[in-house]
This record gives sequence, C-alpha cells and structure tokens, in this order.
Amino acid sequence: MSLFKLFQKNTKNVINHYNNLQITAISSRKLSILPSIYDGEQDPGPKFFSSGVQALLKRLTRPDFAKVFRKRTNSNLSVLRTPKYKFLTDEELKAEMSKANQTAARLLQMPPVVKVHEPINEVLSKDPALVGYDTSKYLFTDITFGVPNEHRLIVERNPDGTLQNCDHDTRKRLNQIYFPMQGRKVREPIMFADEEKFNGLLEAEKYEYILDRACIQYEPDEPNYQKITSITYQHVDMKTNFNLLRSTRHFGPLVFYLTWHQSMDNLMLELLQSGIVREAVLLMGLRHAIHEDITNADEVNVLVPQILPTPVQLTKPETLSEEDIQMDNKCVDCIAKYITNNSAMKSQQELALQGFREDYQQLVDLSRGLKKAHGNA
Amino acid sequence: MPLPPASGTGRYFVKAAKSIRLIRQGCTNRPFFHISVTHRKRLNSQPVIEQLGSYDPMPNFNNEKLVALNLERIKFWLGHGAHVSPPVAELLGLAGFFPIHPRSYMTAWRNRRTERENSEKQKEAEAAAKTADAA
Repeated sequence: MSLFKLFQKNTKNVINHYNNLQITAISSRKLSILPSIYDGEQDPGPKFFSSGVQALLKRLTRPDFAKVFRKRTNSNLSVLRTPKYKFLTDEELKAEMSKANQTAARLLQMPPVVKVHEPINEVLSKDPALVGYDTSKYLFTDITFGVPNEHRLIVERNPDGTLQNCDHDTRKRLNQIYFPMQGRKVREPIMFADEEKFNGLLEAEKYEYILDRACIQYEPDEPNYQKITSITYQHVDMKTNFNLLRSTRHFGPLVFYLTWHQSMDNLMLELLQSGIVREAVLLMGLRHAIHEDITNADEVNVLVPQILPTPVQLTKPETLSEEDIQMDNKCVDCIAKYITNNSAMKSQQELALQGFREDYQQLVDLSRGLKKAHGNA
Repeated sequence: MPLPPASGTGRYFVKAAKSIRLIRQGCTNRPFFHISVTHRKRLNSQPVIEQLGSYDPMPNFNNEKLVALNLERIKFWLGHGAHVSPPVAELLGLAGFFPIHPRSYMTAWRNRRTERENSEKQKEAEAAAKTADAA
C-alpha cells in the first residue's frame, strides 16, 4: 500500500514538475510587452479632441479609398454584386466624390482616447437590519425609456443590507442584458480573456480585427480596452507594421499613443524610409502639440498649415512642380534639425534622410530636365 | 387566439382600481416574473395594462437576482392611485424607491433566528458527541 502511495506521490510530483516546465516554456515564448494605460495625472482627452490634433491625426492616417471602401465581409450578402460603371458629368462626379468623402470620414472616425474612469463606490444607505434577508445580491436597473447607458440608474442591495451604486463592470453587464449592443458579449470574449489566444492573434498580425472587436466589446475609458490597445499598438510599433493600420480608423489613436508615450521615433524612421517627409513634419507638429518639446517649433508651426491642404501622397510623384520642391526642401531642413536635437534614433534617421535626399535630387533633376525638354522651364 | 403582448395591451377603464403586481411568466420549475400594472379585479392570467419591469428570482452565475424597474412609468401609475402588492413593495423597498417594507425586516429577522438556532443545535450536537467519545 505504502509503495503504491509513494508511487502516486512521485507521479504527482512529476506531473507538477512537468506542468511547471510547460508554464515556464509558455512564459518564455510570451511577448514581454507591458501595457501602459492613460491613468496618469494628465488627461489625454482635451489634447486628442482639439481640432489641430484631430486634423494632424486624420492627415497622418493617409486615407486610401481603395482600402477604406474595400469589401470586408460578405456576411449579409449571398452573392457579391459586380461594381456599377456610370457615365457622369463633371457636376455629378463632384457630387459623387463629396459623397464618398463624407462616407470615408464616417468610416475613419477615430475611437476616442480618454483617461481611465474612476471606480464607483458610492454607498446610498446601510441597513444592518436587513442582514440575513437573502444570501444573494439584488441588482436593480431603471429601464426608463430614453436614458443613455452612462446615466442609467443601476443600484445593488448586498446581503449585508448596504444599498450602493454598481461598479462599471456590473453596469456594463446589466446595460448589455437589458439594452443589448450588437456584437458585444456579456462575458469577455475568449480572444481577450485568454492571453495565449490574444498573443496568437498578435503574431498573426490581425491588428485591425483585434482593435475593431475591442472597440465593440469595451468602452474607451475602460482599463481593459486601454491595456489591449496599448499592447497592440506596441506590437505594431515593434514590428513596424504601420501599413497594416494605415487608412483605418485606428491609425490616429496609434500615432497619438506613440507620441504621448514619447516613442514615435520608429514611426518617424518608417516615414523617412518611405520618403514621405511631409507627414514626418506633421508628426513633429503632433509631438509639439502634445509635449511642446520641439526646439525648432516656429518652423514646424509655419510648415504644418502649408502641408495640411496639399493632397495626400499615396504613391511616389512622377514629376514635381517648383512649389513642391521648395516645400519638400523646407521639410527636409526641418527634419534634419529635429534629428540632431530631439530624436532618439539619430543615426538611423540620418541615414534614412540622406537616402531620401539622394533619391529626391534625382527626381528633381528628372522633372526639371523634362520641363526643359518640353520648353516651358 | 394569439397571446397578448408582454408589454401589455394598454386597454383599461380609467376609474377602475389598478394594481402593480408580480405576474408569473416562467415555466415549470423556472419562475420568472413581470412587474405589471393591471386592474385589481383582473386575474393574473388576463392581459395586463402595461408591463413596468421584470424580476428574476433565481440567482445567476454571479449569485445575483436581477430586477428591472421602469421607474418613470411606476411613478405615473402611483400618481394615478395604483395599489402596490406586497412582493412588489418589498422589491421597491430594497431598491431604495420605497421605504423598506416591514415584511423584509421580518424575513431578515426570522432568517437570522433560524440560522442562530441551527448553529446552536449544531454546537450542542458536537458537545454531545464529545462527551460520548470521552465516556
């Protein structure tokens, strides 16, 4: 008997040991990203919603209509419809374009960036004579018509007789029970609750899926939402996968997050390597709007309003006008100053800028030569 | 005949006495109640004037009992002199909308008493078992 017991104990130990080993193996494979949420002294809300920052973020999103209006699912359609081609007059075309612009603006509306909410612990009354009335909690929801979810009266009566306002988690659950929101689940979806699954999605680079689902599942001022988005943003930044989120509504909050946490130099490097110096200057403008720590702020402040009305550069320009060349040269000077004074990745960004300068010089020579050849230089 | 809507039919006589009560809507072994306003003389199986909320007496996975109250409409019907049945009055008392119903205090007190008695009995039984062991 005792032998059997010993054997049993040993197997248990072995199993335990094996489990521990497995856990350590998993944790070593886990991403070591620490989420950072907006819970400090400063509230990011006013800065994020200010019109200047919103304009910068929208422009930095670099909306490409081919991506904004792409077919994402055929869930509600049995057969995908073929596109329609129409002949339009100039006015009709203008009207259609403005309609498309409006729709794109709606589709690209950014999820808000706000501070994490404070916990609610407001006790309304204490009645010790009710101890023993029931072993379970009573939750009362006021379902009066026309009250928004955040102002709805939701209270709980605990078994110890205290009547208090519910905390955010309970409020959210009850709001979802009585006034369901399509796509939101009462229990946290497993892709967010299970870290393994979440990391799997990150490694598969399904950032847009994660962020879209997080937008539906959580409120923007929930700590869980901010944790999930912050891990996703950091992963995007680590892998330099900015293009996956460009021209989606999540790019603005991503840039805002990186700039807020002073880690936008990787994005700056990516912009310089892809040769879009104007957006790099806009990024400097954003950093100045948030932190006010740019040394050549006057130059940036002059350049930003000049850049904003220019059309979005989706592809490399084939020819350049003299004004374009002037503006780009100004941008390059501005960025060079930024790199020497404020950047955290000086050598890499300098190299990238040097590469851009050479490319750009070739393009300038080409377009000037073309103009000369056409005889209107 | 089709069933009347859960939200009520809205048909009533203005001067007849109204009552706000619990109306059982669940099935066998699974109670669920609507809090509804109806004529005082009408049966619970008859169509109600309006549904004002719901009450689920079975605790959910978090050990919570959920009550929904349309306070605006409850105030409206109270203003029209509707009578409130004791179970609804108890719920409204627990919600902090009414003063706590005396019956809630009674239930709490009785539950506490039975618990106390049970624990005393248990102690006595344990003591008896100990003395028996010693002997």
